[in-house]
This record gives sequence, C-alpha cells and structure tokens, in this order.
Amino acid sequence: MGETDTAIRVAGVTKLYRRYGRRHTVGTLKSALLSGVGRRALSADSAVQALTDVSFDVAAGETVGIIGPNGSGKSTLLKLLAGIVRPTQGDVTVRGRLAALLELGAGFHPEISGRGNIEISGLLLGLTRRQIAQRFDAIVAFAGIEGFLDAPLKTYSSGMAVRLGFAIAAHSDPDVLLVDEVLAVGDEIFAHRCLEKFGEFERAGKTILVVSHDLQLVTGRCRRALWLEQGRLVADGPSAETVARYRGRVAEEESRQRFESQSQITNRKSQMAPAGQAPRIGSGAAIVAAVRVLDGAGKPAAAIRSGEPARLEMEVTAANPLSDIVFGFAIATISGDVVFGANTETDGVPARGLDGDARIILEIPSLALAPGAYSVDAAAHARDGAPYDYRRDALRFDVTAPGKIAGVWNPPRRWSFAGAVRSAT
Amino acid sequence: MRPLLRTWRQRALIVALTRRELAARYRGGVLGYFWSLVNPLLLLAVYATVFRLVFQPRADVRPYALFLFAGVLAWGFVSGALLDAAETFRANGPLLRKTTVAPEVFPAVAVGARLSHLVLALPVLAGAIVYAAATGSVRPGAPAIAFAAVLFLLTLTVFGLALAISSLAVHFGDVRDLVANFLTLAFFLTPILYPVASIPQRFRAWMRVNPFATFFEAIQDSAFFFRPIAPREWAWMAGTAAVCLAVGAWIFERLRDSIAEEA
Repeated sequence: MGETDTAIRVAGVTKLYRRYGRRHTVGTLKSALLSGVGRRALSADSAVQALTDVSFDVAAGETVGIIGPNGSGKSTLLKLLAGIVRPTQGDVTVRGRLAALLELGAGFHPEISGRGNIEISGLLLGLTRRQIAQRFDAIVAFAGIEGFLDAPLKTYSSGMAVRLGFAIAAHSDPDVLLVDEVLAVGDEIFAHRCLEKFGEFERAGKTILVVSHDLQLVTGRCRRALWLEQGRLVADGPSAETVARYRGRVAEEESRQRFESQSQITNRKSQMAPAGQAPRIGSGAAIVAAVRVLDGAGKPAAAIRSGEPARLEMEVTAANPLSDIVFGFAIATISGDVVFGANTETDGVPARGLDGDARIILEIPSLALAPGAYSVDAAAHARDGAPYDYRRDALRFDVTAPGKIAGVWNPPRRWSFAGAVRSAT
Repeated sequence: MRPLLRTWRQRALIVALTRRELAARYRGGVLGYFWSLVNPLLLLAVYATVFRLVFQPRADVRPYALFLFAGVLAWGFVSGALLDAAETFRANGPLLRKTTVAPEVFPAVAVGARLSHLVLALPVLAGAIVYAAATGSVRPGAPAIAFAAVLFLLTLTVFGLALAISSLAVHFGDVRDLVANFLTLAFFLTPILYPVASIPQRFRAWMRVNPFATFFEAIQDSAFFFRPIAPREWAWMAGTAAVCLAVGAWIFERLRDSIAEEA
C-alpha cells in the first residue's frame, strides 16, 4: 500500500474545549452589545485540553482500536474525525464516505414508526432516499422488526431499537466507519451479528476505527491499536502489544491504589490477591508462553464433552531463576463468572522454583461443566500474589453435551421416584 | 453562502424532519391534521364575531375578519419560525453531538414546519375569500396569485433571520427573549391590524425600516384588496430576502464550528 491509500490522516491535532463560566451562562446578547460585540465577547473563560498534539495515519482497509481510560480523549478524537467538532490546531483528513456510529439510534423519534425512523436515520447517515429504499428490506431483516414496521418506535423493546440503529448504520455502506462503544449494548446474539458485519466490512476493504473498553474485542478484531491517555497518544502499534502495555499500566495503577487504600486502613502486608479479579498483570519475570486445553486422548481440543477427562496446560519460561513461584488456572464463563480457580499453593503442591522452561499440567478426570463456551485464565505469580504473568482469557473452549442443562455445573446424577409417580419402567 | 448550499443539499433530510415534526405533533390526536384547519377556523370565527358586533372597523377594510386573517396567519408563521429557530439547537443537541448532520438543517426545519402549518391553513383563507365574494363584500381578482410569490420571498427572509437567530442563540441565553420582544413590537409596527393607507403620510417612509412592512402590505394587496403589487415593492422584497439570507448565512458560518460544542 502506498501513500495514496491513506484513509485517515491526523496531523498534530490539538483540541481545546472552551468552558464558558458564569459570566457567559447568564451572559447575554444585550450585555455583549453594550460592551461591544467582538472576539472578546465570544472568548472563553477557560479551556479544557481534550487532545494534545495527536498524529497518526490509518491506511485504507485497516481496523484500528482506540483504547484508554475514560476522559482520555477517545470520543473527542472520533468527533474530530467525523467533522462534528473542529481541531483547535492541526489537520484532520478523511478520504471517502464516512459514517459515524457514536450512538445507536441517534435521531430516533419515539412517536414515529420504525419505517419513518429508518428513513430519517438513513438520511442522517448521508444516504439518499433511493439508497434507503433499495436497502430497506435488508435493514428490516437484519434488525428483525418485520412485524413492527408501522408501529411507533416507543412500542419497541430497547433491544429492537438498538438492533434497528445498528442495522441502518451497517447498511449505510461507508468507506470509513467510526464506532464508539456501541457494542456494549444489546445481547450476545446481537453482538455476534455486529462482529460478523464488522468482518464483512473488513473483507470489503473498509476502514474501521473502534473506541472500546472491551480489550478482548480490540485484540480480537483490530490489528492495530491506539492508546490515548489524558489527550495524548502514548502508544500506537500492533493491538496485542498495545493492549498488553495498557493492561500493565492499568494493573500498576490498580495495585498502587489498592496499596494506598490498604496502607491507609492497616499497615499489614497485603494479603494474597484473589485470582481472576485483576486484568492482565505481569512483571515478566516468568512468561506464560502458551496455554492449551487437551481432551482425554491428550490432543489439543476446541471442544470437550461434558463429563469427559480434560487437561489444562501452560508453557512457562523464566529468563532468570525464580525461587518464589505459583502456577494457577481459572475457568470462567464468557460473561466473566469464574466457575473454577486453583493454584499450586492452594492445592498443596507447591513449586520450589523455576529455572527455565517448564510445562505445567492440570488433569481434570471429569469436566463436569454444563454445555457452553468457557474461557481459561493462566497465571504465574509469586506467593504473595504479585503476578509475573497473568493471562486472562488466554483461551476459549466449548463444552458439549446432549440435552440442555441450566447453570454451569453438570454433575454425574441419577433420578429416582418414590411414591405415587407413574414412571416409565 | 456555504450554509445556503448545504441547506439545499440536505433538502431531503429537511423535508423528512419537517414531516416528522408535523406527524409527531398530530399523532395520537383524534383530529390529526384537521387541527391545522380548526385553529385558523376558530380564529376566523372569533374575528368575525368581535369585529362585527364589538368594534366598528374602517370602511375600506371590511370585512375586517378577512382583512385580518391573511395577515395574522402569515405573522403566525414569521413569529413561530423565528422563536422556534432560537431554541432549535438546544432542542436538537443530542443529534448535533452524535451525528454528522449539517447544523443548517435545524433552522430550516423550524421554518419548514411553521410554513407547513401556514400552507395547511390556506384552504380556510381561500374558503373565507370565496364566501366573502359570494356575499358580495370582496371582488377577488388575478393579483391573488401573487400571494404565493410574496410567501416565497417572505420564507427566504425568515430563513435568513432564522440562521442568524439560531446560531446566536447558542452563545447568548437571552436571544429568545430579545426575539420575542422584537416580535411583539414588530407586530404593531407592521401593517397587519391596519392597512398602509391608514398610516399618516409623514411616517410612511419610516415604515420601510421594518423589513416585514412591505411583505405584509403585499399580503394585504394580494389576498384582500386584490390589486397588483408595484414593481418597486417586488424589488424591495427581493432585496430584503437577499440581504437577510446573506447576513444570516455570514453570521451562521462564523459561529457554525462552535454549534455542536455549545448546543
């Protein structure tokens, strides 16, 4: 790809938001006229610097994630790219048709029918009436609102409204798509369809910028990630790398805060950090290089039958010998509920040290989990809980079983009847 | 002139939002769009009663109810559109902040919605003229057609003012109050309640300072007196429309960048 394939160019962009003080909130045109209209009358009392000297290019066809804490300037950056606000300094260039999904269903009116809202939302996204008519059926099908087209939007469930909002935007066929945290709403099925649609966009060579707090989504969907912190671009690189650095920074910040709050309450040594609560942490003294789930035959497996034996493995390596080390695994549902967690200390099989490469194996004779998707955390940490490498959601696997079971536990079991139950046998 | 160009390009959205505005207002009402007819009909009935039984208007403006009706309808459009324009960016703040919509759309919709109300009430005006003609109190003629052209130029003027008012209102809290006060004053300084003929000769030139005066004189000429509008008046109205559009667009363009931030 050459220079001509740049879809987005942000060059030295600084954005100041003017804050008008009391003088201006009650400030009046009358007083402005009396004191003389001019720049002075329209000047701000103070300014908030939302972005400071941010520069980056995005090539056409790239999917880029933007991460960072709240208030770091992510949304401002998208608004600048969308042309909703202008940079105070620097230049923003976007090539091609742009669609901004800063809020699903922006512009929806509750009193108007779904049909009417599709038309207006489409026009707001820059479609012509003809384009809307052509894509109408596809939008309705994607949103799954066939029976409700002529009902006012206020009668829709929130899920339906959200689906409709995304369906319209997804069918606006942009060259550049800006998405701000909209996938956080809606159920899982919907989130999957959105991701599928993103995949389609990617294959079609569209440029996508996603602001998200879902780091899993960023590493999974984006090759590249930008990390904003207090209005500055602190990292720009492959998403796995950027996200890892960001997680490290968040963990640092969290442990600093935890340490501060603990030392305020008591002066005791910090107790063992509960597994599964921290996001990825790591000093890097030991590295969890690989994590695997294996079936009863010892082959790596993407799916395990419920009740069958399973084996969890991690490859760990330490550059320098470590005498203080604990290995742990946790299994959680996709929604994040931990269903199992144990380590070599809690299970009473302490490791004495790690001098180089090693493989840690946890055998489970019967994986009594209900069918569903699960994620595996793998960690190597010190006995006091200080992590060397904590890989959250390192791997996902499915558990299968005939029939349906509620919950996460699928224990071996037997029913029997006593009394006046008519049974088959 | 860029705001005017953008407005033109967004005309499909403006029409759709205007229709939505009307539909949302009438949705759920038993009479629906008939409210647009009922309001002016009631107004006309009140005028007809009060000015027949209570006040005795001048001889040259009888039937006074009809004389008043065209002017009051048009004034309702002007004042409604300008007051709506003063609030439109605050009312549509979420859209401005969350979509890439051109802000010009909103003052245009404010004007479009009020214009639609006026146009929906025109059958009542036409009916009143036909009734008055049948009873022999007015003699309608060809100049009535000019009413449409006057309304067109008036709409352009109002849109120019709406551009200025809407963008200024984002920065100054009192713009709506100022507009409301000016409109009250202008209502009495504009030939709506009285014909131009009743203004003393030495004040006639001053009347032209009010940009609306010529429009409402032309409305009376076309919809009540049924006499042709002088070319000089046409030129004056066209000039007023051009100046208002140019000034409105200039002010709007200067304040445009801050609208999404401040609204």
